Amino acid sequence: MGTTEARLVHLTSLALVPLTLGFVWLMIDLLRKDYNGVRAVLTHPIPAILLLAFIFAGIVHMELGMRSVIVDYIGGHSRSWALAANTCFAALLALACLYATLRVAFT
Amino acid sequence: MASSDALPGPRRPRPLSPHLSIYRPTMTMAMSIAHRISGVALYVGVLLLAWFLIAASADASSFAVFSGFISSFVGLIALFLVTWALFHHLVGGLRHILWDAGYGLDAPLRDQMAWATLIGGFALTILVWIIGLTVR
Repeated sequence: MGTTEARLVHLTSLALVPLTLGFVWLMIDLLRKDYNGVRAVLTHPIPAILLLAFIFAGIVHMELGMRSVIVDYIGGHSRSWALAANTCFAALLALACLYATLRVAFT
Repeated sequence: MASSDALPGPRRPRPLSPHLSIYRPTMTMAMSIAHRISGVALYVGVLLLAWFLIAASADASSFAVFSGFISSFVGLIALFLVTWALFHHLVGGLRHILWDAGYGLDAPLRDQMAWATLIGGFALTILVWIIGLTVR
């Protein structure tokens, strides 16, 4: 990993300490609720923004972490493909989660 | 002086890390491996969050499919393991932040911190599940 990645891993890890505690607190509440109950909570700005921040920081952190795993264990041409697949998977997952959260929040 | 990598011709295969088999196992090593395993587990576990959010954004019947899975035996086991991976990785991350800042690298403390990761991660998981299952 280069310096940029290492700094981003540190930055997101620090951000994720409070965000994870907030996320777990939110999910304890949400996992007890039904469809309408979950949607009602996520129309409020604080839980919605908490969730958006957790998803963003979490998926950036996850993508960087998997990058270092790939670089450690995979060599040659497969490494490039694995790195590209990792970035694409993380980007699609982040967009899907952010889109779904915003859709609940605004409808 | 030119590096051999810069010379034309076929590239030497680059070394891959790590060579786990030549080290005597230690607690810090075990927790380093556990940090990576829990991280990779969360990479998969986040799909549960994606499913939850997509189902909640779709319609009541999609959400019912998610609810049915997460309250099933397999779903609860998966949720428990993801909770454990999350807290293990969180506490392990705090340990790495301290180590990166230069604290806790001496012989007795670094092993105590490795044990604290294992115990703390599991304790927080149990605490959250007790709150989740009892507090209304």
